[in-house]
Formats: sequence, structure tokens, C-alpha cells
Amino acid sequence: MYRLALKMLFADRGKYVMLLSGLVFATLLMTQQAGVFVGILEWTKGNLKNMRAPIWVVDPKVEQVNEVKALRDTDVTRVRSVPGVAWAVPMYWGILQARLIDGTFKPVQLVGLDNATMVGRPSRMVAGRIEDLRLPNAVVIDELAVERLSRGRPHPIGIGDIFEMNDKEARIVGVCRTEKSFFGYPYIFATYDQALQFAPKVRKMLSYILVAPKEGRTIEEVAAHIRSTTGLMAYSEEHFGISTVRWFFRNTGIPTSFGMTIALGFIVGVAVAGQTFYAFILENLRHFGALKAMGASDGLLTRLVLLQAFAVGAIGYGIGLGVTVLIGSLFLRKGMPPFSLPWFIPVATLGAILFICAIAAAFGIRKIRQLEPAIVFRG
Amino acid sequence: MAEALPSSPLAPAADIAVHVRGVDKTFGRGEAAVQALKGVHFDARQGELLMIVGPSGCGKTTLLSVIAGTLEFDTGEVDVFGSALHDLPPSEITAFRRRNIGFIFQSFNLVPTLNALENVSIPLLINGLGRKAAESRSCQMLEKVGLAGRERDTPLQLSGGQQQRVAIARALVHEPRLVICDEPTSALDRDNGRRVMELMREVARAPGRCVIVVTHDNRIFKFADRMTEMDDGRVARVHDTHETYDGSHH
Ligand SMILES: Nc1ncnc2c1ncn2[C@@H]1O[C@H](COP(=O)(O)OP(=O)(O)O)[C@@H](O)[C@H]1O
Ligand SMILES: [Mg+2]
Repeated sequence: MYRLALKMLFADRGKYVMLLSGLVFATLLMTQQAGVFVGILEWTKGNLKNMRAPIWVVDPKVEQVNEVKALRDTDVTRVRSVPGVAWAVPMYWGILQARLIDGTFKPVQLVGLDNATMVGRPSRMVAGRIEDLRLPNAVVIDELAVERLSRGRPHPIGIGDIFEMNDKEARIVGVCRTEKSFFGYPYIFATYDQALQFAPKVRKMLSYILVAPKEGRTIEEVAAHIRSTTGLMAYSEEHFGISTVRWFFRNTGIPTSFGMTIALGFIVGVAVAGQTFYAFILENLRHFGALKAMGASDGLLTRLVLLQAFAVGAIGYGIGLGVTVLIGSLFLRKGMPPFSLPWFIPVATLGAILFICAIAAAFGIRKIRQLEPAIVFRG
Repeated sequence: MAEALPSSPLAPAADIAVHVRGVDKTFGRGEAAVQALKGVHFDARQGELLMIVGPSGCGKTTLLSVIAGTLEFDTGEVDVFGSALHDLPPSEITAFRRRNIGFIFQSFNLVPTLNALENVSIPLLINGLGRKAAESRSCQMLEKVGLAGRERDTPLQLSGGQQQRVAIARALVHEPRLVICDEPTSALDRDNGRRVMELMREVARAPGRCVIVVTHDNRIFKFADRMTEMDDGRVARVHDTHETYDGSHH
């Protein structure tokens, strides 16, 4: 009987296709938008992914990693003297304009690494050596920079090529790979001292102090220690990431606008799938009535309707998720827009779709349970 | 010859298939209330094809629904092959229908998206039979009603007469003791109507079975073993042969 119930639904082409499209669309809208949203949140943590350090020390007013309030140079020494600190090094981060060979400008993110240790250096070099940053005017650029800064050149920009930042020549000694970041600008790495040469002069230039705990000390413990003794803010890498995401939730319309689109997907799913399924039940009410007259129990009919609803839900979800993954991988290949599909998005969407199906089924089941089997004798 | 009712409210005799005593049924309430059955007494015997006739609106379909266990009634007793429907809870009435009643409807009521074989196998599947067994029995049944080779056709690919024969196969496939038909021939031409009724009479002759047909199609009156004539919610007369009823009373 279960097989026949499915056939009843699948053979009703018009309704089945409509039902399926509603569910596919709802799934697609929910997962895809959630994926882009999580992707954006991942981008906001770009600096934390590209410059790795156990502890980040910043101005106490700084809540997220894309925001800089410069520290005093002496703060590095103060942090170094906090018990439990193994090392503490300065880092510069700022947005500059790079001048291309055709005279146009492109914004870049300049990162200045501690001259001696190069803490926070890119983790994956594609060409060249990071140590060559110690050469005069040397920079390492990321692959995005190769793409963006090559304009007007016969060949893609590479090792040995020169471009200008702030009227000063930068010589490329290496190419690295980085993760996408919120601003979407290429990363340019230099030594700390060299970065200060490129950057416009202001009174305070120190963006972050990167710190590691001594062996045997936990990150949280040392961070707390830094906070209490220096009055500066010290985040663990993870904490800074969470704080960054939280800041975007509180201070931007991004979560609301995505939340509304996702809710819209859900509502469309309920409306289209719910209505179509209910129409399917109504149209087949005679046949459900006949089944009832022939002795099908309410329990059996309930199971048949649930099976129909959940079967079409599962298929719609499957197709919707498939399309999302397809579109998502396209996004990821193009690098735009941001996209990330952690496990909880498909799981939550599945829950939402099953909920939609359960609601749709519930209305149909109620109708069928109220049905007098004697209606089958009426013309 | 016409015999007057009501008869005495005795326990059903051994060969009685359906035994109805003093059944009332009112639809709606207050101003809009319609009393469709007014103290109906009715019997159908095993081994007979009984017709219920009477003017439109006199309560034939309502009585049929009560006998089939698809409609609750207000007062009275209904005994079908030893099951006292007035005493059974709804779930047991459902189980009773599943095992004992075969239905044939005026409008066939076949599921249009399922083929003939699948439609016929429904009562067996509802009774818990496996798909293989259900399909092989349904196949035999379709052959019996003259539809061998049409198993995979959907109702829309079949003529009205063929559809009704599929419906008959569906009504008989689980070998119910009581077969209930409401206007089975009204959508059929004379030849198809005759074929259907010949089948029904054959079923009624089988031991321990009974067929009740509601109709006002006088072309098929001749297939009746007995006729129960209804009028205004009551059984007016019972004819022991179809020959004494000519439908001229209304
Ligand atoms: N579900 C219902 N609700 C209200 N009135 C009904 C319903 N079913 C039947 N009736 C009324 O009960 C009476 C008997 O109907 P029915 O048994 O269908 O008659 P017949 O089958 O002899 O034409 C009619 O007056 C009809 O209008
Ligand atoms: Mg009727």
C-alpha cells in the first residue's frame, strides 16, 4: 500500500512537480543564503586566518580584528614583561593604495611582520622565500595581488617585479596563498620596519601585538594576565574570532537581511508546499474515502500521507541541497560571493523542510480523519 | 407477491446475512434536520442478490451505508453475518469492513493514477497481504471479470464498462461475504450493465455470500432474487420475486 501511495503522488505530475519545486526552492534559498552568510562571517575573520598567533593584544576598545586603534611601541615591552609571556612581537596592518604600472591605484592590505621572528607570516608560499623579506624594499604578495596588480603588464606580476606604495618602490620577492578577507583586498607582507616605511607616517603605528604563552601556561591564563597587568585587551585567536563575528551581528544589518531571506525561504516553502500538498489531499479525498470505506484504518491512512509528505520532502531537499552545493562550488571557484556550508546548515534546513512537510501532512491528515467513509456513495 | 412489514423482532435466522431492526438516522439538526431512515426493518439472506429500490431520496443509499458500516446510525440494531454493528467500537467496524464488505460504487471510484492491477489489489494490501500475493490474486480476479491483458492499463485507458469490471474485481478480490453496490449500472450501457449483473448474480450464488444492489435501473430488475421497496425512509414492501415490482408506484 505504501508503494501505491507514493505512486498516487508521483503520478500526479502537475502537483508533484509544483510540490517539488516549492521544496527545492525553499531548500535552495535557505541553504544558499545561510552559506553566503556564514561565508561572509568567515571572511570577517580573514586576518586571524592569514596571520596566526596564539594571543592578540589590542587597544581595549577594539572588539573585532578588522578594526585598528594603534598602540604605543612601548606597549610591546610592557606585554613582554607580563609573567607567562614567552614572546611578544609587533605587527602592522593597514590599507594602502598600490600604484599599478598603468598609473591606476588598487587598495591592498599591508602587513608588517616582526623583523626577527616574522611571526604571523603567511603559511603557504607559492613562490620565493619568506626570509627574503629582509632584503631592501622587499614584499611578498598573495595570489589575489598577482591578479589585481598585473593590470597593464604583458605578463602577470611576479618575483623581481616592482610596484609602488605611497611613492615608494616595493620589490616582489615571493608569492603566497591567503584566505579571503572581509575587505577583499590583496595582502602584501613586509617586515615591520619596512611596512612602516611604506605606510603614511602617523604618531602611533603599532596595530597588534602577537603573543605566545610560555610552555605550561594556558592561552586563557596568560591573556587574562596581560589584560589585568597592562590594561590592554588580549584575545585568544578563537576568542577574537568570536568577538569579531559578534561585532558584525551587533553593528551591521547583515544578519538581519540574511535572516529575513532565510525566513522568506521557509515561508515560501510552507506556502507553496503546504498548499499544494493540501490541494493534492483534497483532490484525492474521494480515493482516501474509498480506502477508508474499504477498511483502511485512520492509522494506516495517516502513515500513507506522512510517507507521501516526507518522501517528496526528502527528494526536494536532496535536489535543493545538490543545487546549493553546485552553486556554492561555483562561488568558491570564482571566489565571489563568499560561501561556506558547515554541517549545521544542511541539518537545520533538513529540519525546516521536514517541519514544512509535517505541517502540510497534518492538515491533510486532519481532513482525512474527519472524512465520513459514507461519502463514497454520494455522486 | 408482496409481504407486509414489519416482521417480528426475532433473532436472525441461520441463513440471514443482514438483519436490520428499527434503525433511525437523521442528518443535521433543528430546522435543517432530515430524517433519512425511520425505523427501518430489513433482511437479506445468504446466497441471494437483493435489490433495494424506491424513489430518489427515499433513503436507499443511507440504508446501504448503514449496512456497510460506513455510516453511524442513531438507534436500532444492525447485524451483518453475525457482527452486531451497533455494539462495535469504530476501530472494529473498520476491521469488519476490511474483511467482510466489498464495495461497488456508482462512479467506480478507481484511483486514476494507479493501473487496473494496482486498483484491484488495494483491499488485499489493506488486509495485510504482501505485494506479490496480492498481485497474483488480483490478476486472477481481473481474468475472471474478462479483463485479462488489461492489468497495466489505467482507468482512463479503459471504457466505462471495463472500469466498472475493474471495480467489481476490486470488490470481490478479498472474497468478502457481503457485496454492496450503489447504482452499479447507472453509468453503463445495456450490454455492459447486463455483464456486470451476471457477474454479481454468480457471486451471490456462492455459499455464505450475499449481494445487495441499490438501483433504479429497471433494465436490471430481472437479476434480483428479491426486491426491497423503500419509500420515505421506510421499507414499504418486500417482493419475493422481481416480477411483482414494476416501478410504477412512483
Ligand atoms: N450527508 C447527508 N447530509 C444531509 N442529508 C443527507 C445526507 N445524506 C443523505 N441525506 C438526505 O437523506 C435523504 C435520503 O438520502 P439517500 O439515502 O441518499 O436517498 P436515495 O439514495 O434513496 O436517493 C435525502 O433527503 C437526502 O437529502
Ligand atoms: Mg442514492
